[in-house]
Amino acid sequence: MTGWFLLLGRRRQEDTVFLLTILLFLTFSFVLHGFLTTGNIIALLRSVALLGILAVGMGIVVIGRGIDLSLVAILAISVAVFLNLLGQSYPIGIALLLALVGVIAVGALNGVLTAYAEMPAIFATLATGTFVYGLGRSQFLTQDVIYLPPGHDLFTAFGNARLASIPVEVVVFAFILVGAFLWLRFSKYGRYIYLIGDNLNAARNAGLPVRPVIVLQYVVSALLAFVAGLIMAAGIHSMNTRIVNSSLLYDVILVVVIGGIGLSGGKGGVRNLIVGTLLIGILLNGMTILDISDLYQNLIKATVLLAALIVDGVLNPRDEQTDQQGDI
Amino acid sequence: MSALIEMRKIAKSYRGAVALKDVDFTLEEGEIHALVGENGAGKSTLTKIMAGAVEADGGTMLFAGEPVAFRAPAEALAAGIAMVFQETSLVPSMTVAQNLYLGDEPFLSRLRGVQVAAQQFLQSLNFTVDPGALVSTLGAAKRQMVEIARAVRLRARVIIFDEPTATLTPEEKRYFFALLRRLKARGVSIVFISHALEEALRISDRITILRDGGLVTTGETPSFTRDSIIAAMVGRVLSGELYRKRDDIAGLRRAGDKALSVQDVSMGNIVRNNAFSLFYAQVTGIFGLIGSGRTETAKIIAGIYKRDFVRGGEIERDGQPIRYRVPRQAMQDGIVYVTEDRKLEGFFETKSIAENLYSGYLAAGLNRSVVVSMREMARLAETWRKTLNIRALESNERVVELSGGNQQKVVIGKSLVQKPRIIIFDEPTRGVDVGAIAEIHALIGGLADEGLAVIVISSYLPEIMNLSDRILVFRQGRCVEEFSPAEVDEERIMYAAVH
Repeated sequence: MTGWFLLLGRRRQEDTVFLLTILLFLTFSFVLHGFLTTGNIIALLRSVALLGILAVGMGIVVIGRGIDLSLVAILAISVAVFLNLLGQSYPIGIALLLALVGVIAVGALNGVLTAYAEMPAIFATLATGTFVYGLGRSQFLTQDVIYLPPGHDLFTAFGNARLASIPVEVVVFAFILVGAFLWLRFSKYGRYIYLIGDNLNAARNAGLPVRPVIVLQYVVSALLAFVAGLIMAAGIHSMNTRIVNSSLLYDVILVVVIGGIGLSGGKGGVRNLIVGTLLIGILLNGMTILDISDLYQNLIKATVLLAALIVDGVLNPRDEQTDQQGDI
Repeated sequence: MSALIEMRKIAKSYRGAVALKDVDFTLEEGEIHALVGENGAGKSTLTKIMAGAVEADGGTMLFAGEPVAFRAPAEALAAGIAMVFQETSLVPSMTVAQNLYLGDEPFLSRLRGVQVAAQQFLQSLNFTVDPGALVSTLGAAKRQMVEIARAVRLRARVIIFDEPTATLTPEEKRYFFALLRRLKARGVSIVFISHALEEALRISDRITILRDGGLVTTGETPSFTRDSIIAAMVGRVLSGELYRKRDDIAGLRRAGDKALSVQDVSMGNIVRNNAFSLFYAQVTGIFGLIGSGRTETAKIIAGIYKRDFVRGGEIERDGQPIRYRVPRQAMQDGIVYVTEDRKLEGFFETKSIAENLYSGYLAAGLNRSVVVSMREMARLAETWRKTLNIRALESNERVVELSGGNQQKVVIGKSLVQKPRIIIFDEPTRGVDVGAIAEIHALIGGLADEGLAVIVISSYLPEIMNLSDRILVFRQGRCVEEFSPAEVDEERIMYAAVH
């Protein structure tokens, strides 16, 4: 048993996952009618892109040894409020700015709670997520689904835009991946996130600006959630806030964990996010074509997530000495 | 006497790296056997194989004449071989009695019943621990006592200690050695790993020396001397000057300008009205027992802890009052702290040597731009690997895979990159092999020669005596006495630290 895990570990987790992805893709292509059609591949890419953008945000936070459970709440409420402002005939620039300010504030709140108040990230972000949803739904929004008011052709045109027949979501996702790669690999603050995720006390003692960087990582993940929400709304011309109660958040965590970004922090990168996104995207798409009911889809996803967490626990064991209570 | 444990040609490798090769080891009935060697020599692996925590790749082991191959610590324990780890296997929030009977309680456990049984049992061992006390309130020595009692209660015939004295104060050590002798009188055989050679020489009946995973020699303790052990450990004869006492006043460095003035600094009950000064171009040694507030005071200076806001005292650096919220501010003012616990708060274990060194560089804002430069990082790593003589195949090697001495050098390098003016070394040679100790000592002296204000905190007196140009003694949260190393002996320092 351990021998098998060691084999996985030595070969790098993302390579194994990539292999699995290709296997799954080939299997679906041969077995499923309608999987390998242009229409479906485009649909697949679009859904993968949304999941992937969220996973980039989550991945950055997890590398810094945190977790952001408020991601989907931020996505839904920020965009719903934005659409609502448009409905009250605010100019699009002002609406965008207001929503952006709110998003940054919530991201910063997450960061301040974990970095300065030293709350465990899992509870702090769970609470802010619920708070954002509750506040948005009770104070700003009168119904669950907010529709894009007519007359915003630019916005809908953006949603339908194609770059050489590639949907705009995919283009944005690609840009974000490149940006995240460059930021994590070559910028000072990107490296700080790895160091903080590896050993927070050592980072603090070395004189790194630990707390500002933690705040920054939550602001970045909140912004990415907003971007994902805008793209979603541009495609379907509405935002359904019930998405907060869906399993989207768990899909995102699934992508991050299965891609091989260890929950113990300090490890992984954009490559892990790409393979994780592809595998989960293909799995979800294939299950939809197979017409597996939501109940069974959730069961399968939960099983895969559990398996991935177990493998993660074996490959990236949390150190007894550096582990903290309440730390995820 | 007859051999209780007999190991023949034990071999073990981890992912291709040889940890042990063809090691023979025998443990006689009722003896105290010391296992010494540099870090990475294979001592821990050998004892873990004995205790069933690690499986050997090759070789045989006989226990009381029977061939055995333990696959789990529980199997070894059932057979009568117990390993005592430092503190880790006790539950801090439970009482001593509960810990003693942990995993072995009757179905309907009554606290009183367990407590009475524990009381009687501890008395039979002549251990002075209150069975009703919470483990979290006990000191390191008493915790170890509980661990030992638990092993004895499980009828262990062999007890293995991995660096049992590292966290003990001198009095606690004396007490611990008395315990070992008492265990021996009860017929228990003892294996203990130690870095402190004096202890091995004083307490053991036999000594086994390992080097690079191989057996160097094993023999009766009286046949060894300190120097012969060191020679066998490092494979070369070191000059006996590692812990030389400096008795000529002329050889001491003169104090430069005043670097730091600490006045009435307090933090809770741990640091109380502490006051002392620090000078450039000098090594100031701080000696104190555990609980004397030496590490805490150092961390206050370096901004890691905050002193009390009200009546917290004053600290002045170069005549300017300072009060840091985070270590970053101290670092920018040229004050760095090299930790005593490098794994917990010193290095980044999944990162390479180069990136660890570079982290200090980045934190100090020395690279100016927001973009990091791999070339700069590689150059930095090459320079510092040479300066500090960090032994590794390449700069990409992960720090966690290095030996203790090389890890310590990386941690020191990470701080030196930041060009500090005041540097605090907390137990700079803890868990460091003999060869590296000499290098680190030379490095510390060199820093003072360059004009830095250097603090060395150590609970090892010979180290303090050898390195310091002046010695401060801490007791109960404050500096109680100052000595010149030329005019003082170890007894007087110890007396000041205790009384």
